[in-house]
Amino acid sequence: MSGNDEYDYLFKIVLIGDSGVGKSNLLSRFTRNEFNLESKSTIGVEFATRSIQVDGKTIKAQIWDTAGQERYRAITSAYYRGAVGALLVYDIAKHQTYESVIRWLKELRDHADSNIVIMLVGNKSDLRHLRAVPTDEAKQFAAENGLFFIETSALDSSNVEQSFQQILTEIYRIVSNKAIESSQDNVQPGSGAQIIVPSVDDHTKNAGGCC
Amino acid sequence: MSSNVRHTIGAGRGGGFWKRTPAYTPSIVDAAFSGSDALDEKTIFGSKEQGSSSSFQQTKSKDAKVDEGMSTTQQLQPSSSPSLSEPSSLGPGSFENQEKTPLHHTTQNHQPQQQLAVVSASDKKTQTSSKFYSLLTASNADIEQLRKLSWKGIPAECRAEAWRLLMGYIPINRSRRAATLQRKRKEYGDWRQQTFAKGEEALDRTLWRQIRIDVPRTTPGSTVFQQARMQRSLERVLYCWAARHPASGYVQGINDLVTPFYHVFLKEHMEPGQTFDDISDSTLDSVEADSFWCLTKLLDGIQDNYTHAQPGIQRQIVKMRELVARIDSKLAVHLDAENIEFIQFAFRWINCLLMREVSLENTVRMWDTYLAEDQGFAKFHIYVCAALLLKWSADLRAMDFQQIMIFLQRPPTLSWSTKEIEILLSEAYMYKCLYDDSPSHYSGGRPQAG
Repeated sequence: MSGNDEYDYLFKIVLIGDSGVGKSNLLSRFTRNEFNLESKSTIGVEFATRSIQVDGKTIKAQIWDTAGQERYRAITSAYYRGAVGALLVYDIAKHQTYESVIRWLKELRDHADSNIVIMLVGNKSDLRHLRAVPTDEAKQFAAENGLFFIETSALDSSNVEQSFQQILTEIYRIVSNKAIESSQDNVQPGSGAQIIVPSVDDHTKNAGGCC
Repeated sequence: MSSNVRHTIGAGRGGGFWKRTPAYTPSIVDAAFSGSDALDEKTIFGSKEQGSSSSFQQTKSKDAKVDEGMSTTQQLQPSSSPSLSEPSSLGPGSFENQEKTPLHHTTQNHQPQQQLAVVSASDKKTQTSSKFYSLLTASNADIEQLRKLSWKGIPAECRAEAWRLLMGYIPINRSRRAATLQRKRKEYGDWRQQTFAKGEEALDRTLWRQIRIDVPRTTPGSTVFQQARMQRSLERVLYCWAARHPASGYVQGINDLVTPFYHVFLKEHMEPGQTFDDISDSTLDSVEADSFWCLTKLLDGIQDNYTHAQPGIQRQIVKMRELVARIDSKLAVHLDAENIEFIQFAFRWINCLLMREVSLENTVRMWDTYLAEDQGFAKFHIYVCAALLLKWSADLRAMDFQQIMIFLQRPPTLSWSTKEIEILLSEAYMYKCLYDDSPSHYSGGRPQAG
C-alpha cells in the first residue's frame, strides 16, 4: 500500500449505490481480498487503491467508496468530481436497490463528468435462491443506458476482479485513444482526462490532487 | 449539557491560571489515572463469552474482586504511554462488607435511599466511588461537583445514575427522580405504542428500511447487540427518534451513538454472572426508554451534524483544521501539500464521535468526560479529534496522500487501553485551555476570557 509505487495511469473510481448492497465488501475484496460479514455502514467516504496491469501498463485505481444513505449525498457527490469511472452497485436479491439505479444515474449526470464510464454491478450473486432481479432485465437496462454490466459476489469472489479489470481497461482504452487524438489535434484533453498521470519521473509525487 | 454552569475541571476554580502555562500537568496525570474499569464492561459486552459483571446492588465476593483488579492491571500494563507509575487506584477493591444503595430507580422504589458505604481510606478507587455515592444520593445533587469528579472517569457502578443526571434527564432533587423516570418511561412507552400500533406497513418505508439495514451491523462484535430482542429494541428507539426529528431523520452513525446508553443502562441491571438473557422485558423497556431520552438529549446538542448537508460537521471540520494549523503548522502545511482535505478523514470522526475508532468501553469512558465538559460533544470533541491527529504528526509528515488516507481511516486506536484514551482526553483539555477563547482561533471571534 505504499504511495511510492510506480504507475502509468491513475484512475479515480467511485463506488455508489444503495445502502447495504455490498459496496464496501466489493472494495475490500478487490483491494485486500477480504470479506467481512460483520462490516459496519460506511460513513461519508472511504478510500482504497490497487494497481493492475493492462496492455503492459500499470494502472492504479484510486477508489472512493461512498455511503449509500440519501443524507450523505451532499458529502459524497463532491467525490464524483474528477472520477473517470463509477461502479453503480445494486443487490440482486433486493429489487428496491435495482429500482434506485435510475436515481443514481441522475446523481452521476448532475455531479460527475459527462464522459464518466459507468458499470452496473449486480452484487450478491451467491444468493441464487433469493434472486429478485433477473440477469437479462438488468443486462438489457444497462445496454439501453450505455452502461457496462456484470454480476458479482464479494462473498465468494466471483467476478469481482473482472468487474474492476473491465472498467479500468475500458477507461484505459478511452484515455489512450484520447491521448492519441489530442496529440494529433493538438488540443487539451477534456475534463475527464484531467487526472491521468503519465508515467513521468514524478510518479512518487502525490497524484491525489484530483479529489 | 443542559446546565448553564461553566466550570473548570482539574485546575481549581476562578483562576484560569493554567492558560498558556504548563501548570496543567498535574491534572493531566490525575486524569490519566482515574482508574476506569473497562474490564467489567469488556467482559459483558466486548467478547462473545459470558462473564461476570459488577453491579452496584450486589455485594461482591472478595475473590471475584481480586481477580478483577489483577486483570485490570494487566490490561493496562502494555501501554506505550510515557513513564508514569501504575495508578494506585487499580488495586483490588474492598466492597465485600458494604451494603450498597441501589442507584437505579424502579417504580416500586420511590423513597430516597440513604446509607453510604463505609470505605477503606487507603483505597482510592473506593474513595472515588464513595464521593460519587455522596453526590448521587444527596437530596440535591451538586451538578458542578459531579461534573468535576466525572471528568476523570465515573466508576462503573455509579455511571448510569451519573449519566442520567449529567444528561439532564433526571432532576437534581433526588426525591423527584423516581417519579420523573416513571413519567418519561411512560411517555416513551406511549409514543412507541402509538408509533407501532398499526404494524410495519404504516411506518415510513424508507426510514424503516434504512434502520433495518443498519441495526444488524451496529456493534457487530458484541453478543448483546446481536440478540434479536436487543435489535428490535434498537430499531424502535431509532425509529421513534427519527420520526420525532424530521429535520434530520435517521442518519447512519446515529445507530452507533445510542449504544453507549444501552451499554451503561443495561449494565446497571446486570448482577454478577448474569447475561442479557437475564434482563426481563420490563427492564429492557426501561433501559430502552432511558436510552431514547438520553440519545435525544445528546443529539439535541449536535443536531445540525445530521441535517441536510450536515453543516455542523462541516463547521467543526473547519475549526479542527484551524486548530491544527495553529498548534502544528508543519503538519498542516504537509497535509495541504499532499492535498489532504480534513473532511476526507475527519468526517467520520465527528459524525460518529470517534466511535468507529475506539472501543465501546473506551467510548463510554470518553463520554464521562464529554458529559462533564461544557458542550463536550459539540465542542470539546474537536479538541479530542485534533489531539488524535497531532499524536501522529511526525509519522504523517513522512507519508504521502495515499499513506495518510489509509492510515487515518484505520488508526491504531481500537486496541487502545483506557489509559491511552485518558491521556488523549488530557491532551485535548490542554489544547482547549491554550486555544479556546483565543481570539484568532475561531473566525467568529469569541470574547477573550478574563
